[in-house]
Amino acid sequence: MIARPFARLIRLSPAPAALALLAFVCVWTDSSAAQEPSLAALIDQQVNSELAAKGITPAGPSSDAEFLRRIYLDLTGTIPTLGEAKAFLDDPSPIKRQQLIERLLNSREFARQMQRVFDVLLMERRPANRVPQAQWDDYLRLSFAANKPWDQLVREILAADGAEGALRPAARFYLDREGEPNVLTRDVGRLLLGRDMQCAQCHDHPLVDGYLQADYFGLFAFFNRGFVFTPKEQNQPVLYAEKAEGDVAFKSVFVAGATDQPTRPHLPGQKELEEPQYEKGQEYSVAPADGVRPVPKYSRRAQLATLLPRPETMAFKRNIANRLWALLMGRGLVQPLDMDHGGNLASHPDLLVLLAERFAVMKFDVKAFLREIALSQAYQRSSELPPGVESLPPESYAVAQLKPLSPEQLGLAVLQATGITDVHRVNLGPALNEQLLHERIAGSLGSLVNTFAGQAGQPEQDFQATLEQVLFVANGAVLRSWIAPQPGNLADRLNKLPEPPAVAEELYLSVLTRRPTPEEVADLTSYLQNRAQDRPIALQECIWALVASDELRFNH
Amino acid sequence: MTDCNYACRSPEHGISRRSLLAGLIGGSVGAGLVDSGLGHIAGLSHLIRPAVAGELAAQQKRVLVFFMAGGLSQLESWDPKPGTDTGGPFRAIPTSVPGVQISELLPYTAQQMHRLSLVRSVNTKEDDHGKGATFIETGRRDMPGQRFPTLGSAVSRLLAPAGAALPGYVHIQPGGAGVNKADAAFLGPKFASISIDNGKPPADLLRPDGLSLASDLARNDLRRKANQRFTSRRRTAETEAYAYSYDQALQLMERADVFDVTKEPAADQERYGSHDFGRHCLLARRLLEQGMTCVKVSHSNYDTHFENFDFHIEQLGEFDRPFATLIDDLAQRGMLDTTLVLVISEFGRTPNINPGLGRDHWGSAWSVAMAGCGIQKGAVIGKTNENGTAVADREVDGRHLFHTYLAALGLDPKGNYPNLNRPIPIGDPAGELIKELLV
Repeated sequence: MIARPFARLIRLSPAPAALALLAFVCVWTDSSAAQEPSLAALIDQQVNSELAAKGITPAGPSSDAEFLRRIYLDLTGTIPTLGEAKAFLDDPSPIKRQQLIERLLNSREFARQMQRVFDVLLMERRPANRVPQAQWDDYLRLSFAANKPWDQLVREILAADGAEGALRPAARFYLDREGEPNVLTRDVGRLLLGRDMQCAQCHDHPLVDGYLQADYFGLFAFFNRGFVFTPKEQNQPVLYAEKAEGDVAFKSVFVAGATDQPTRPHLPGQKELEEPQYEKGQEYSVAPADGVRPVPKYSRRAQLATLLPRPETMAFKRNIANRLWALLMGRGLVQPLDMDHGGNLASHPDLLVLLAERFAVMKFDVKAFLREIALSQAYQRSSELPPGVESLPPESYAVAQLKPLSPEQLGLAVLQATGITDVHRVNLGPALNEQLLHERIAGSLGSLVNTFAGQAGQPEQDFQATLEQVLFVANGAVLRSWIAPQPGNLADRLNKLPEPPAVAEELYLSVLTRRPTPEEVADLTSYLQNRAQDRPIALQECIWALVASDELRFNH
Repeated sequence: MTDCNYACRSPEHGISRRSLLAGLIGGSVGAGLVDSGLGHIAGLSHLIRPAVAGELAAQQKRVLVFFMAGGLSQLESWDPKPGTDTGGPFRAIPTSVPGVQISELLPYTAQQMHRLSLVRSVNTKEDDHGKGATFIETGRRDMPGQRFPTLGSAVSRLLAPAGAALPGYVHIQPGGAGVNKADAAFLGPKFASISIDNGKPPADLLRPDGLSLASDLARNDLRRKANQRFTSRRRTAETEAYAYSYDQALQLMERADVFDVTKEPAADQERYGSHDFGRHCLLARRLLEQGMTCVKVSHSNYDTHFENFDFHIEQLGEFDRPFATLIDDLAQRGMLDTTLVLVISEFGRTPNINPGLGRDHWGSAWSVAMAGCGIQKGAVIGKTNENGTAVADREVDGRHLFHTYLAALGLDPKGNYPNLNRPIPIGDPAGELIKELLV
């Protein structure tokens, strides 16, 4: 990436936010480029030196088509249109990748994709019972559209009680977990600190040295006074509330005759908080009463919101750096993402520290951080093994990982591939914008997402293909309706193209974001020649085969 | 689960989302079964491994769960107390095991007693439907923020043969449709139960109208060719799993009639009875014979807060004969030794008879019946006191039972799940085997 500083100076029609950022980047680049390499360059230094040390020859750079599909799926959640794909592939510019990364990062689609990613990350597909999904989605999307720093977002979420209008949706993290302190302890540990301390609920973790029962209950003590408050008036929203009393003590179920150990709140591995003491009767600014939400003078929740999301909390930095890395790279430096502990070392320990520290220095700017990863050679490697190589260890990042599409990515990609999204674009006409298009296709996504989504509230799972999912693709009415011809969709367009090579180009670019190989053109040509009597059926078979293929199912 | 006017009004007894869905999906499943010799068509024959009942019976271990939804009364079934203040109106009758008596509501089952064992000393201390079901089905007490796999999902993960076309875990219940992902918890939806109703295969198993067999095979050939190209330099376990899942689905589509109980001999349909539960038992036999790893049959509804005795006459009158017939059939076919059979509930019912002649939720002293793989024959473990108000001997709970199920199947309940991305013990570490129940 020698051309990077230069590339950064040449950006086409950036949005105002990008301009401001550009100015910042230029200053930063000019003043420090000589001494301070970019984070992308540092990433490559670390990954490549590890590869050299292990004698591993990495895969070459991705092809333009591979890169195009990958970056679209990662940053916008879907694949490019046929027109976008052609334009990129035919663009001779040597800096078109940098330009594309910049354009996508500043697109509305990016904010919506981050909304989807962080919705699943923070809520893990729990039903939206207390805060409507749409309000939560808007809150997240507007946060990412404004490039709200991650620490601020987490601070808002941890501080939220649902009473303040603008920040009410942020209270969903508490409210849709019903304020249950064990659930909150586990999920704050896993999702915000990268530590699944579930097993430390009843005893020190038997297999993980660093996961202590004392730490579990130190975190628990931030939540045990919290509860979901239901106002007496009808139609008033429920709120998250806190009491001024309620102490925590624990004992191990493994130690016979163990006595209760009291603990005040503390983050894992840190000291218990010093807390103000109030006279009896003086603890509340709003005292508890029938139908009244109490407000204590001293809020443990507020303490957590202050203490957890800040650069001094190493686990907070490591967790998000690892999760954003995994989002683009297909696997965490620490894997699983919520098992960051001394017995499960990062594949690149120094790189994880570097990413964590630099992310904090960037003031937790998610967009800037993702940009650096996307610009790295490591991200832009091919997913194809080099010739003669049978396999490469996934934790080496020597070859791009195949990432199963999320249910949302899969749905959006198939809607785009089959041309249904194009039909909506045409129907919207001059009114077309990202929001309206989203509203049109959102309804079509539901059944596919439900079929492919995992169980709510569970940690991320290894890839699975279930019977239900396959039958949805193979025989389901929804997918069949997308593939069957309707004015303007892919099947309809293919039906109107007489020449097989043109059919092949349209088909492969639309579904797989690449041009067909000569062999594939030849195959398709002979396939269609043999099916002159039922060509439209044959074309649907071709579309389905690519939709159901590994190449579509994975981001590669 | 049907809505019963005698049941408590907990959400578990409402019309479930799944039964509503079933109504919707039912309309779209009606296309004719493909009755072709798909196995002979090039490209697929090597993938098809027809189930051979005898071979399976000899090797593969399976689980059959009867879930007596709502809470079966132990006093009207496995642990009668006639002539006491709590005993109710029914007699106890002798069984095929000398000295062991059960309720007169189970005359056919009584004749299978030499193949069954009873645990009469279950104390789960849990009187809530959801929490009781969680404890008895997952072997762990319900804890906030924690969810463990049900037995069916666990054995689907641990026992189902790799690459089997049939799903590992099927739940037969009236109106059943869809996948219950919560069953599998962290094992993932692949090991969740697929709910089916009588004779209706899982959603979208049948090839839709407008898609011919030839066209389906052709498009799958194209798919395989595309995969071949893509994976020639990118093959991973995940691409293999994804690609293979389509071939498994094709195999299962060809065998869609494994879900069709009407393919069983008329005489058997007669023996099992024409009501839903009878057909469900016969379907369970069919699925187990075809190699299904776990079949759960729910029988609703035993939540008899009112008119406990009338409703147990009715419910057990339906349950008794098909259940006994199925036990006998499994034994006759040599399958019982490899099939672990359980009769479980969320809990039992109160010894106290309430003013509505009902019995209420009662987790403190109730019974579970078992048979088959790894389990003693004709054993009775533990006992309650004279009028059934407390466990008098050998108290056990959901953890002990779960450990025992696993051990009976030859699995190590203290071991961890294999190939998970974190170490999680299969059974609750604090649980212990009920050794005297095991062969």
